[in-house]
Amino acid sequence: MSMRSQVYEWANLSTTGNFMLRRGLNATAVAVPVDREISVFTGQYGNNITKPAETTATQFVVIEDLAASAYVGGAVQVVINTTSYFQNPDVTQQAGVPGTASPYPRGSSDSVTSSATGIVDNGVQLLNAFELTPDVYVLPGQVWDMRYSQRLSNDSTTNTALGVIGSTLAVAAFVKYTLYDGPDALIANKLLELGVTVNPNNVDWYKRTLIEQQSAAASAAAAAAAGGAQ
Amino acid sequence: MSMRSQVYEWDASRTNVSGTEMTNAQFGSALSIFVGGFGNNITKPAETTATQFCVIEDIAVTPSAFVFNSNIATTLSTYRGLPTCNAAGTSSGIAGPRAYVQIRINTTDYFLDPDNVGNDGVPGTASPYPRSVNFQPCFNLYPDVYVLPGQTWDVRVTAYQSNNYAAGDLVAGNLQCFVKYTLYDGPDALIANKLLEMGISVNPGNVDWYKRTLIQSQGM
Repeated sequence: MSMRSQVYEWANLSTTGNFMLRRGLNATAVAVPVDREISVFTGQYGNNITKPAETTATQFVVIEDLAASAYVGGAVQVVINTTSYFQNPDVTQQAGVPGTASPYPRGSSDSVTSSATGIVDNGVQLLNAFELTPDVYVLPGQVWDMRYSQRLSNDSTTNTALGVIGSTLAVAAFVKYTLYDGPDALIANKLLELGVTVNPNNVDWYKRTLIEQQSAAASAAAAAAAGGAQ
Repeated sequence: MSMRSQVYEWDASRTNVSGTEMTNAQFGSALSIFVGGFGNNITKPAETTATQFCVIEDIAVTPSAFVFNSNIATTLSTYRGLPTCNAAGTSSGIAGPRAYVQIRINTTDYFLDPDNVGNDGVPGTASPYPRSVNFQPCFNLYPDVYVLPGQTWDVRVTAYQSNNYAAGDLVAGNLQCFVKYTLYDGPDALIANKLLEMGISVNPGNVDWYKRTLIQSQGM
């Protein structure tokens, strides 16, 4: 399996302290700093993994979709090595794709509050106004990151608009990517050189082209050998 | 019928074959939806014979919503149809089961974290079942997952938010999973293998294209 669809979901949920490796039973929401980019992989909030995301020399990653909670001004940014992908027109830093443009989950509300009768939202069912086209390529040997940030606090003690004091809002981010490994990563690199979009269809197309070329060469060699023997 | 669209639905509250409903004691463990021993099961693990080829095209599981960790409601409450706690004031921030679905081929998990460790799989929040206006997919299984002849495959569900459910058995609709796949059998499985060798996606359209090519090359 050298082309694999992959997903990663982050949420500010932890069973102990601010963060934990992988996931655990009945994790609870923790407060996340405001206006600070948090790595969803190793940011020490919510569920984390053991090391930063990176591609080996024989891997090629294509990030195809990303999304974030639409609450509290949530947004998600892609960082390749040290470069943020989404920038302002004046080439200054920005938070990335707002959760309201690419909500997670699709269909979620953009405002939710806690109350004495339970959890209440404004009835909005958001759809995505953003699609990640063209995709983002992570070349072999690069380090990549997804960073979640929020403009407002998710802690109702600080952000009283969230409702009952003492409640913390759970927020999340999501990324969908395809991992090309081994020979398929080499083909992905070749497609990139050719200026062809890297996707499973084009990788398959390149393989077919190679096979056809080899078949044609083999036929020509056989014909030449037959001609020489006469 | 040598190419057949197939589906399998699992519900944690059913007891077909397994004889046992899932309870919140099983949260935190990955359960096979085929032979996990809870919910509706089948008699043996899913596997392809030497003359079968299986293409898994979609997977989905019950969604969850991100809410508050302190639900001060004096009675049990729900959010968009999903439970937020099993006792008043005990919500931990998720409405629903916080469920994930993973595909396993032989002994290998398909979905990995970026540190190359097998993860829980696709979140129900990204690929919800059932789909609704409130919960729509932002994931599609592309490229498809191929199960080659002779391989064993499994779909495993992991849920984490047991404190949203009362002690005891889950009820219908609390935790469900859905798989859509196409089963190629006999000559079509051979063609599927051939397409795979040629680097062509295995789908009914391409299998038909290969058959037409064969027929044309024979001058029929």
